[in-house]
Amino acid sequence: MRPLDPRLLRYAGGARAVLALGGLIALVQTACTLGFAWFIAQLVSRSIAGDPLDELLPMLWLLLGIVVLRAAAVLASDTVNARGSAHVRSQLRRALVNAFETLGPGWVARRSSAELTTVAGRGLDALDAYFGRYVPQLILTALAMPIIALVIVLQDPLSGVTVLVTLPLIPLFMVLIGFATQAVQRKQWDTLAHLSRAFLELVAGMATLKLYGRQHRQVRRVRAVTEDYRVETMKVLRVSFLSGFALELLASLSVAIVAVGIGLRLLDGSLLLGTGLFVLILAPEAFLPLRNVGANYHAAAEGITASEQVFEILDEAAAVSSSQGALDDAGSDPDGAVPAEGADGRGLRLADVTVSYGEHVVIDALDASFPAGAVTAVVGRSGAGKSTVASAILGFVGAEGALRHDGATVSGAPGDRRWLSWAGQNPVLVAGTIRSNVALGDDAPDDPRVVDALDDVGLAALPLDHAIGAVGDGLSGGQAQRIAIARALYRLRTTPAAAGTPVLLLDEPSSALDRSSEALVVDAAHRAARAGAAVIVITHRPAVIDRADTVLRIETQRGPVHDAETGEEVVLHG
Amino acid sequence: MDDQVRRILALAQPPAKRFIPGLLAGIVSAGAAVALLASSAFLITKAAEQPSIVELGVAVVGVRAFALARASFRYLERLLGHDAAFRQLSRLRASVIERVIPVAPDGLQLTGRGDLLARLVTDVDELQNVPLRVVQPLVVSGVIAGGAVIFTSVLLPAAGIALAACLVAVFLISWFLVSRVAARAERELAPLRGALSEAVLELVTGLDVLIAYGAVSAARARIETADAALTRAMVRRAAGAGVASAVLSLGAGVAVVAALWAGMPALGTIGGPALTVLVLVPLAVFEVCGMVPLAFGAWREAVASAERVARAVPVERPEALPDESRGSTDLPPMTGVLLEVEDFTASWPGSAAPALAPLSFRLAAGDRLLVEGDSGAGKTTLAHALVRFLESDGRYLLGGVDAHGLLPDAVRELVGLVEQRPFLFDADIRQNLLFAREGADDAELTAVLDRVGLGDWLAERGGLDRPVGEHGALVSGGQAQRIALARALLRRFPILVLDEPTANVDPELATALLADLLDVAGAEDRAVIVISHTPVPDELVTARLRIAAPTPLVSGT
Repeated sequence: MRPLDPRLLRYAGGARAVLALGGLIALVQTACTLGFAWFIAQLVSRSIAGDPLDELLPMLWLLLGIVVLRAAAVLASDTVNARGSAHVRSQLRRALVNAFETLGPGWVARRSSAELTTVAGRGLDALDAYFGRYVPQLILTALAMPIIALVIVLQDPLSGVTVLVTLPLIPLFMVLIGFATQAVQRKQWDTLAHLSRAFLELVAGMATLKLYGRQHRQVRRVRAVTEDYRVETMKVLRVSFLSGFALELLASLSVAIVAVGIGLRLLDGSLLLGTGLFVLILAPEAFLPLRNVGANYHAAAEGITASEQVFEILDEAAAVSSSQGALDDAGSDPDGAVPAEGADGRGLRLADVTVSYGEHVVIDALDASFPAGAVTAVVGRSGAGKSTVASAILGFVGAEGALRHDGATVSGAPGDRRWLSWAGQNPVLVAGTIRSNVALGDDAPDDPRVVDALDDVGLAALPLDHAIGAVGDGLSGGQAQRIAIARALYRLRTTPAAAGTPVLLLDEPSSALDRSSEALVVDAAHRAARAGAAVIVITHRPAVIDRADTVLRIETQRGPVHDAETGEEVVLHG
Repeated sequence: MDDQVRRILALAQPPAKRFIPGLLAGIVSAGAAVALLASSAFLITKAAEQPSIVELGVAVVGVRAFALARASFRYLERLLGHDAAFRQLSRLRASVIERVIPVAPDGLQLTGRGDLLARLVTDVDELQNVPLRVVQPLVVSGVIAGGAVIFTSVLLPAAGIALAACLVAVFLISWFLVSRVAARAERELAPLRGALSEAVLELVTGLDVLIAYGAVSAARARIETADAALTRAMVRRAAGAGVASAVLSLGAGVAVVAALWAGMPALGTIGGPALTVLVLVPLAVFEVCGMVPLAFGAWREAVASAERVARAVPVERPEALPDESRGSTDLPPMTGVLLEVEDFTASWPGSAAPALAPLSFRLAAGDRLLVEGDSGAGKTTLAHALVRFLESDGRYLLGGVDAHGLLPDAVRELVGLVEQRPFLFDADIRQNLLFAREGADDAELTAVLDRVGLGDWLAERGGLDRPVGEHGALVSGGQAQRIALARALLRRFPILVLDEPTANVDPELATALLADLLDVAGAEDRAVIVISHTPVPDELVTARLRIAAPTPLVSGT
């Protein structure tokens, strides 16, 4: 694993300052360690040498001062690290949210929403162990270890050699043992994950097990499986704890070797007690930061995994936004920019639109008109690409060909289509009130219009101030869907004239509705068409299809198929 | 901390005979660390007095032995400690399952909440930390601190008192910081984390709507507000931990200064080597005791985990659930009127109001009853009450016998349920069917899959050995329903309840699936209750029952 991912510095600019400040504090801490050891050694050796107490007292006060400074440095380091990692976390979170928007709903829909929420939520908290603890220890190790080793060498070259020989052995042994156990350990983590999943499954599937009278034998099974796991894990731990053992053994043996060596040289008078004590106190300090790095390694690894997920998403978003810029330049159509004349000018037209996900062509050269003043039903088998038509109109999928609104080619971001009012299959309610949900995106909701829109879907009785959570607590699935439709109607009616012909796009509006509610929605769609909107309803319900002015049938991987009954591309009713 | 939490925490602690060997190894290892520094200090100071080398012999041997003992016993401590903790984990898991069984699924406070369920599993795993990260380090630190205080007091009572005072002060202050200051911040964290997750989830799940309605910036602002509040709380919590480590560092330094203060004037009576030992022992002791604030923190987290486990898995059976251990096991003969309910109602744990308006109906062999109603009308309540997941009021007869008097397990031999989201185990297709009837051979399994319309699918999949994926990830909603029905058919329940079989199925395929399911389930003179909110053609059912919520949440459905 890389000690520090350069992308962290790129995506979280705040990280740099934190690292620099952390380095400064690490220097202060190292100075304190040296001073602390030096004054203890001096006080003890001078006192033994017979210096009077009065002369030593100022030095004792100085030592106390260093103790206080050292504690203050610890506090400062913890505070800087905590604030720093909090800052980095917020920066990355903001970048992630922007990346979700750049990558778009299509990208988000292909991933599990729970997973994305974890990445941008709790997942970033794992960075604390990495950025808040592991990286500072790394900095401290990089600064303190060479300085302390150098001081030991200068004071007592022989002890210095012992420390200098041992120090590099520690990472070497850890790496060697790490290599030896890595494969086994990975397998072990997999087993652990599998076991936790099995336990999870047992709790989650308990209802099913009870329905089949199979619950009582599970206790014994859990016991047996966990016991097997223990036996296997202990085999691995016996080896993997060896790396910790090697670390401890080398550190304590080198302290022992330094102590015995100093003792023998003091015995023949070739070394002073003060120097010997100073080196003895410093020797363990040279190993301490390295040991702490080892102790924080596992927690940090989790943080690194989390940050890698984050960076992958950010990289992907960066790639998309740079390629999007290129497309926008090339994709503008100078002819289409001028409103075309002619009878079919008002409304929406898909001209030779092709949508493909990789190799898979979902819509192939679809040519369709949705004229102002008419209700067009879009029908077709499940998986034929009906909802992809909606996504193409919304601009959520990249499409070849042109989308023309009132004759002008539509370009630009999906958020710029003010003429479009849409209600999707999934009635998304946002935390807030009924009012804020119906008037979503309108900063100054117009209450009478909100009530009108609700009335059209048969929900006039709902209190506008009724609070709803993100999951739409207290509302049935049917009510949520009708609120989503009311939202589209509200937007439709507040479309400014300058935006051109308003387009109402309803995707499976009645999937969760009973027949009477469905009829209300269809009435509202027709009223909207009479008022001049181009209305598109994607549906499979006969009651909706029968009342449409035009029916557009979509077939898998082909253009519109001629209707079997009439032989026409579109069927006109009345 | 209430009794339930205490009992769960006690479950995590291994019995003494398993725990003590590791504990002893830990004490020896930590003691050796202190002794290594003390004997080194003694060796050096004594050597400076330039005695004969023989006088130093013991100290030299001691230094080397302590260095070896420190590392070796530490290794032993970790092995023994982990072994004991893992042994305990299997008991802990088994006892959680024992508690889950009688109250699942409706008594668990996590039905339908995948995140809470995952949290429960993590919490149970994290309880391993009680012996490893709480009890072990606290006992080891306590023993070493006590031993060092006694040892120092023997050398020089004043220095012993100073060391004891520093240790006690550090323990008390870090306990206060961790358990009060950090705990308060921690309590604030949970709801703030929840708020942030919700805000992010809203943006992720509703991104299309937010973009289409130009409302992304509002959602982003909500995330930023939640993020800022969470960051403030996390920095506050970290401040508690930071002060604790600063106090530890300060305590160690002050103890050394105090030892010098007390020891230097007494040099004449105690001698040089003793002075050095007095000064350096506190350094080693405080390094060992550095585990204490971490252990306090780990304890707080373990208590929080135990509390969540206690909350999720009630020890006392809630009143709304039937007693799973009582009742007759004599199954009534299932002929004529198979099922009869009158003024039948039920409620959910933790809610006084009934979730089902009283209803009455009877079913004979071959009947197919459609129960319709909006969400919240009590459809799932009815299904769960019929299979005795929920306690019910009113009359409930199975084959003419009071079902309330039967063992719930016995009722579930007569009444089957195909759940709204059938649970498929992460195993192959065969195992997902076999537990419904052990000993069924492959021909039988293939035949039943054929009957539910999965014959081609099975061939395409490549046979019964193919996995269905975690939570049935490799099969569609409709296929999961069909597999669940196949399971129920294998079991040959005389009465079968289908709860919203089309809830997770593409709307266009719903009617066809429903027709298939009813056709197959209704064969063999079985009585079928199908619960649905999507329209069901008349020819598929023999009777209809419309139910409405006893107390609607929001009027106007």
